[in-house]
Formats: sequence, structure tokens, C-alpha cells
Amino acid sequence: MIAYYGRLALLSLKKNVLLTGLMIAAIGLGIGAAMTTITVNYLMSADPIPSKSDRLFAVQVDNWSPNEAYDEPNLPPDQVTWLEATQLTEAKMAYRQAGMGTSYGVIEPKGKDQKPYLASVRITYADFFPMFEPPFLYGSGWSTQADEARELVIVLSKEANNEIFGGANSVGETVTFSGNVFRVVGVLDEWEPKPKFFDLATGAFNDMEDVYMPYTLKQALELDTSGNNNCWKPIAEETFQAFLNSECVNSQFWVEFEDPDDKHAYLDFLHNYVAEQKQLGRFPREQNNRLHNVMEWLEYQEVVADDAQMMMYMALMFLIVCLLNTIALLLAKFTGRFGEIALRRAVGASRRTLMLQYSVEAAIVGVLGGLVGLILAWLGLQGISALYGDSTEGLTSLDGTMIAVGFALAIVSSILAALYPTWRACSIAPAGQLKTQ
Amino acid sequence: MLKMTSVRKTFRTDTIETHALRDFDLQVEEGDFVAVTGPSGSGKTTFLNVAGLLETFDDGDYQLDGKSVQGMNDRQLAQLRNEKIGFIFQSFNLLPDLNLFDNVDVPLRYRGFNSAERKQRIEQALETVGLANRMGHYPAQLSGGQQQRVAIARALAGSPRFLLADEPTGNLDSNMASGVLDLLSEINAQGTTIIMVTHDPSLAQRAQRNIFVRDGQVTEVQTGTNIQELLQQTAQV
Amino acid sequence: MNQIGPIFRALLRNKVGALLLALQIALTMTIIVNAIHMIENRSSMMARESGMDEANQFHLMYVGYKDSFNERVAVETDLLEIRKLNGVVDATQINSTPLSGGGWSMGLTTTPNSQDGTPVSLYFVDDHGLNTLGVELVAGENFSQTEVTYRLSNDKQWPQNILLTEAAAKNLFPDLTPAEMIGQTVFIRDDEPMTIKGIIDHLQAPWVQWSNVNNVMLVPQRGLWNANRYLVRTAPGERDRLMREVEELLLAKRDGRLIRNVTAMDEQRDDAYQDFFALQTVLWVIVTVLTLVTALGIVGMVSFTVNQRRKQIGTRRALGATKGDIMRQFMLENLLITGSGLIIGVASSIALNIWLVDTFSLPRIGWHYLPIAMVVLVIVGQLAVLGPARKAANLSPALATRTT
Repeated sequence: MIAYYGRLALLSLKKNVLLTGLMIAAIGLGIGAAMTTITVNYLMSADPIPSKSDRLFAVQVDNWSPNEAYDEPNLPPDQVTWLEATQLTEAKMAYRQAGMGTSYGVIEPKGKDQKPYLASVRITYADFFPMFEPPFLYGSGWSTQADEARELVIVLSKEANNEIFGGANSVGETVTFSGNVFRVVGVLDEWEPKPKFFDLATGAFNDMEDVYMPYTLKQALELDTSGNNNCWKPIAEETFQAFLNSECVNSQFWVEFEDPDDKHAYLDFLHNYVAEQKQLGRFPREQNNRLHNVMEWLEYQEVVADDAQMMMYMALMFLIVCLLNTIALLLAKFTGRFGEIALRRAVGASRRTLMLQYSVEAAIVGVLGGLVGLILAWLGLQGISALYGDSTEGLTSLDGTMIAVGFALAIVSSILAALYPTWRACSIAPAGQLKTQ
Repeated sequence: MLKMTSVRKTFRTDTIETHALRDFDLQVEEGDFVAVTGPSGSGKTTFLNVAGLLETFDDGDYQLDGKSVQGMNDRQLAQLRNEKIGFIFQSFNLLPDLNLFDNVDVPLRYRGFNSAERKQRIEQALETVGLANRMGHYPAQLSGGQQQRVAIARALAGSPRFLLADEPTGNLDSNMASGVLDLLSEINAQGTTIIMVTHDPSLAQRAQRNIFVRDGQVTEVQTGTNIQELLQQTAQV
Repeated sequence: MNQIGPIFRALLRNKVGALLLALQIALTMTIIVNAIHMIENRSSMMARESGMDEANQFHLMYVGYKDSFNERVAVETDLLEIRKLNGVVDATQINSTPLSGGGWSMGLTTTPNSQDGTPVSLYFVDDHGLNTLGVELVAGENFSQTEVTYRLSNDKQWPQNILLTEAAAKNLFPDLTPAEMIGQTVFIRDDEPMTIKGIIDHLQAPWVQWSNVNNVMLVPQRGLWNANRYLVRTAPGERDRLMREVEELLLAKRDGRLIRNVTAMDEQRDDAYQDFFALQTVLWVIVTVLTLVTALGIVGMVSFTVNQRRKQIGTRRALGATKGDIMRQFMLENLLITGSGLIIGVASSIALNIWLVDTFSLPRIGWHYLPIAMVVLVIVGQLAVLGPARKAANLSPALATRTT
């Protein structure tokens, strides 16, 4: 019977090519626009580390000015000072913990034909690697002893390793970074978590750093600070140590718990820590310590750009217009067939079978519209990535889930669109329409 | 009143040329009640369309009320239809989304009467056909006979000089049909010229004049001629 | 031609179809009004001038990486040599530029240790700064060559004299004229006094979305931070050539540094506003396609209605309607539907805007958007009906006598 309905539907769709074309185009365009923008939003708000996003927590403590909050309403700074990054890491009160920040420097050429290489650096602690699980091509991260001993060790990104060593296994080799000779202990594979959740300070979708080295070297080598540096209090003296000891926030601090509930104990620890610091004359504000797991952090930091959201809402309204359009066209179409429907009713078709017949027709429109929509969404995403450039890399690909969502959206919306027209068509009396006209 | 001389109308498709009207001659006087009969495909409807200015013709002359309609533009034709001709169709052609009042109102709007005059004419026309009490109803709420009476009211409302009726009873049962015909006779008696196309000999009997159309040409027949026979003869030819 | 009454009553009989179309028009208007508003909002931000001579400027970054790199000597000789190049108008070292998205800001106050500071962004330049940036003095004087000092990474001291943009100075001294601002003292780092030596007309901070984007302070210092920027201003038409020449000049020194990001200012502008431009483009596409969908929807609906009503149209023609009457009937019908949709549209446009204002802190829409959108959509609707209406008008009146 379904095959029969399918044939009827195709016949009816063919009979009025303009109308059918319009409906498919309308659904296709609506789905295309919606899918394009939903995909961007979906990828922006994707869980970058699903295996443990509920056990990784960003730590905030409020060392800000007594006179004004870092941000309203009474929010603590997004980043921490060098003091907290080092002291909280060294306190080892969580299962794992890592303070981190960014720097830069020039890696000197190894051979004659190489050029000096300006590298961005993530300075962090040994726990960073087991916490955020970057994939290693060669070697591994460094040890806690290396942190403590301020060893000149370095982990290269795949890109940096390609640049410097032509992609070879460089573990054990040395590189000269800003005049210091570092030993390569590991080389990462491709690693581009989107969003770059552990450091959102300069952009949630920025590229990963070129190289990684111990945070403790910041003090030892007086490494430059890059990224976002925010101060509320003048720095006391003209020394690098004074800068480190200042109330300027420029680092991030993350902890990992074995059990998400450990956060309560950790909050207690933070409370005690801040209380101690208050004794030392720091932390003039009231205690305002916060822990956000990965997804909470992305939400708190409003990682999904306003623009992306606005676009999505616009596109969803656009989809509604397209659906209204389709409803109106289907209604016109089905109304035009009241005679035929009455006849079918008269020769014994039940309301149910007619419903089915017309739903099949609507579903065919939906599937075709969905196909058109997916093609348009793919084109739309190409367009978005061309318009936004690198900043949307990795945010403009359709995955299986989104394709399924797109089809489901298309079919559900076309059946929804068909619901009222079908109901109207099928609720006419078998006889009534045969008499007049 | 209406004078057609050698009117010719040909329909062409890629392969076939059909002569719907060939040297069609007819004169209808003021106050006539003419019944036009003829077999299917004889050109009855084409004659009606040409007479009602719904279609143009290829050759010949057609004078309506002493004026040749040849060469008139669409606007002039529309105005003539609107002012001089009332139409009654086989399938009534009421506008389903308009109530009776608005249906009768349609030609009056195009005429440009003011609203007071329209109202008065609509009410009077509906009164004439006995449906004044149902002005707010919609066509679908009426029986076929009632619908046709509304259509007659619509045709009458503008006080046309003549009525063109195309199988006015074709969709009605005999009871209703005779009622409609009574109404037409009455209207004719009041001075309106009527041309009625019908395939029903018994209806044709009730007209003053009978015209028989065959192969696009006119044969005038005496009232009372057995048209049934004529039709059968035609069938044998 | 007064047909509104019956058409309106007929529409009421056909509620759902008309309502659907009206709703579609209302939503279309809502989206268009708000999208154009967003586009306009971004356009007005993009239209703000940086204060520079963007067409004839470029900048580049150097990073020293060898101990042998003597930055102070390098900067002095570099600038002398660059300024001597044929076609160069002027050059300066500068820590950041407008539109670059990265820079340094501090708070200034008019009394020491005051709580509410005026945020300003800092550009460290020498006495050639004004000419290289292409900004004009409104009052006071430029830095003299002798007052330009060198600043190390951890320096906390601030020089005696500074220049401010008029916007920044107005924030600090709302009641003074630019001439009266000269010689006034402002405080940095709570209590360090500096004197306003001059007021410049206009210059933007590096962050285009910063609320204080017009607050800029010029500091007469050269940074010795091992990594810094040169800004070069050229004669018209010479920039592209000089971008290559200056880079080659610096690379040829082989003095233990690398040169990066040689960027023309207008390219910098495109980068700075790339997201704005992208959003605008996406919204334009949505608006255009939406209008098209709505128009095509109307074409489809009306074509279908015309087909449905062939006999009715024939009947009307038989009853005396001219072609014009039939056209007008369809146009009027569309006007009524569009009109009621647009009235709903006004309300929903405002509602959506209020929500956008709340959620995305967008400004209010100007009232003039509403009538403009209404007129445009009425025209679009009428144009969409034109084709099918003409088809309807050309139907033969003889359709009235057809039995099927």
C-alpha cells in the first residue's frame, strides 16, 4: 500500500512541478540555512574532551581590587597570577593540577638552509599532559622532577617538529630557544581541541601553541609573557620578580579530580589558601573562589560567539518562514484536490488511509528538501569558512550527527507542515464536494 | 437588437481546423425569447460565446444594439457585457467565497454604481428570484435550483437589455428546471430579450423562436417543430 | 475601484491560507528589519576612522633572538635608514597600532590615587610618531627629539610629557577646551604625574570593540623589549614597493633577529573587521534569500489560486470585469494580506529587537526601519503578484461557459 501511496504522491508532485519545486526549494533553503548556523553553534559548544570534561575544573580565586570587581556582578578574574599558578600547583591538593601560561621566543635554525622560527609557547607543569591528553607521536611529556629542577625540556607540536626536524623522531635532540638549549622529550600528533577550553583568554578557537615547556622556567629564564595580562595594582619594583609577584593575572590554573565530588574538598582547600594569603596582605576582596568543569567553563566564558548565535536565531526564523510557505503551498495544493479526496472517500478510502497518502507525499517533499538542504548547508559552511578565515577552522564540517539532524529536521518539519493541510483535506465529507463544482 | 451576418469562427490546433461557426446569420429582435438547440459540437457554445462577447470572431459582422462590435478593445467589450448582457451559466458560476449579496454585487461593482444603488438593486434582484431572505448565505448552503436563481438575480441586477442563458437547467432536476424556466419567461415578459442555449427540446418548446444550429450554421425552425427529430436526423447525417 | 469589502470578506472565508501568508510576511519583515539593523550597526562601526593614513602605511614586527642583537643601536639606525628611503614619508617605532587587536591600556586620573580612572590605550612613539601616524595636533606641541627616552621591559617610570587624543582629554577634563588642557597634570600608576603637552584630533585604540576606542595616549619612548614594531608611512602609491624594500633592508642586516607580519594598514583593517564583514555577508544572504522565498511563495500561491479560480475569473470577465479589474483584484487581495502581515510585523520586529537588545546588547532599531521595510515588502508583494495576476487577466471570458 505504501508503494501505491508513493506512486500517487510522485504523480501528484509531478503534476504541479512549479509548486513542488517551490516547496522543495523552500524546505531546502530553510534547512540549509538552519543547518549551516546550527553546525557552527554545535561545533562551538562541542565538548572538547568528552572522556573527562566533568572531572577537569578551571579554578578562579578573587585577588582583585577592593574597590571594584574584576567584572560585574562580583565575578573573580578569569585568570590567575603567577603566584597562584605556582603555589596552587605545588600544593598538589588535587588528583592532578597544572598552572599554565603563554610565552614566545625564537627557535634558532639548525642548519644553514633553515630560517629562525618564531614559536608560541605554552609553559605549564608535567600534569598538563595526562590531564588534557594530547596525543604523542614520539616520546612523552616531562616529569614532575623536571618541573622542580627547572630542566630545559621541550615538547614540540607536530607542526614545529615538521618545521625544525622535518617530521623525524626528534626525541633526545636539542633545540636552541632564545639562546638556551632545550632537550626534546616529546612530539605531539595533530591536536586542535575546539574550543581551546583550557585557555580562552585570547580567543576560544585560536591555534594551539608551537611548543610546550615547564612553567617553572618562566622565573628561571625570565620568559616574556604573551596572551592576556591584566593588572589592578601597580607593580612594586622594576624587576622581573616584582612582576611575577604582582597581582597581574596572566595564567590559567586547572585541576583534575578522580571524582567530580572532590571539588567540595578542593573548595575548602582554596578557602584556606586564600585565608592564608589574606594574612600576607593579599586578596583584599571577600572570598570568591569558583570551580567550573569544562562545559560549565565554556558556558561561563560564553564561548559560543554572539554573532554565531544571532545568525542561528535568524536562520531558525528563516526556516519558520520557509515552513509557513510550505504549509500555505500544501494547503493550496490539497484544497485544490478536494474533489479528488471526496471521490476517494466516496469509493471507500478511510480518513486514515488518506492521511497516510498525503503524509507520504509530504515526506517525499521533506526528503528531497532535506537533500537540497544538506547540499546548501555544505555550501553554506564552505562560505562561512571562506568568510571567517582561519578562526573557524574545524567549526565548519558536517559530521554524521549533523547530517542525521538535518534529515530529521527536514522530514519532521515537512510532515509538521503537512499536518494541517492534510487534516483539512481529509476532514471533508465524502459527498459534499461531489455535488457542487 | 442583435444581428450577426456571415460570422465565422475557426479553431485551429496544429493538426485540425474546426469551423465552429460558418457564415452564421442571425437576427434577434428586442423582446424575443430565442431557444438555440443543436447537437453536441454544432457550434452552440461558440455562438453563445461570440454573442456574449466572450470570444472574438474571425470574419463577418456582429451588431449589438445597432453597433458593430468588430474592432472593439477589451475594455469596451467588458463594458458592453457589463451593461447590456446578463449571463446565466449551466453550472451557475457563483463565486463560492462570496455570499449571495456579494455575488449579485459583482457586476454592479464593475458598473460603478454607488453603494446605495447597488444595495437597492441587489435586494430587488434577490427579491425577484425569491431569495431576499438569504442574502448572507453562501452558495454552498443552497440547493442547485436556488443557486441558479441567484445567478439569474445576478444577471438581472444590472438591468441588461438581454440575457444569455447557457443550458440554464442543465444541472437541475426537472422540477427545479421548470421553476427556473418560469422565471425566465416572466423576465422575458417584462421586456428583456433572452437567448437560451439548450439541448432539451421540451425546454426549447417554451421559447417564442427556435433556432437549430448544425455544423456552425443556423436553421430557423418553427416553434413546435419536433426538435427531437431534427436532432436524430442530424445524427444520421 | 472599490472592491475591498467583498475581497476582505472572501479572505475571511479563507482564513488559514491568508493567515499563513500574512504570518510569513510578518516574520519576513521581522527578520529583515533586525538583520538590516545588525548590518547597519556593524557598518557604522566599520565606518569609524582609525585616524591614520591607512592607504599609505604599513607596519612590521622584529624579534631579536641572538645575544648579539643590540636593539638600541638597531632601532636608531633602522629608523634613520628607513626614513631616507625614496618614497618614505616618515617612520617610527610603535608598540602597537590601531585595528591590531593587541596592545597596552592604563588608567589615567586627574587627582592622585583616585578611584575612577579614564582608560587609555598607549602607543610608545618617538618625535616622528605624529607624522607617521598621520594625526593632527589640535593644541599644544609635538614631542621634541630630546625628550624621547628608552624603556626597558620592567621599567615603571613614566616620562614627563604625553599627548592625548581629544576624546581621552575630554573624558578627563570635560569642561576644558583643548587649548586649556595643555599643561594640565594627569596621574598614572595612582600617583605619578604627567603633563599634557599636546592634544591630537583622533586616533583609535588597538581594539575595535573596546568601549573607549577613541582614548589614546602617546608616550615619547622607544621600547627595548627585544621585540617591537615599526610603522612606516609612504608617499601615495609607493607603499607596496616599500613594504618589500624595508623588509629586505632589515633582513640584509643579519643581526640576529627575524622580521614578521609585514602588514599594510588597510589589510590590517580588513583583518580587524573580518568577522563584522562575515556577519554582514551572512545576514545579507539570509535577507536576500528570504525575500526571494517569500516572493516566490507569493508567486506560487497566487499562480495556484489563479489556476483554481480560472472559472471564477472567466465568470467575472463575463460579468463585465476588464483585464484591469482582474489584475487589480489580485493585487488588492495581496495588498490586504501583506498589509495585515506588516502590521503584525511591526509588533514582532520591535519584540525581536527588544530581545536582541537584552540578549546581545545590540542598540535599538531606528523607527525609520519599519516604514521602509513595510514599503519594500509591499512592493515585493505587488511585484510577485504581477505575473500571476497578468496571467489571470489574460484568461478568456469564455472559460465561464465551459462546463469543466
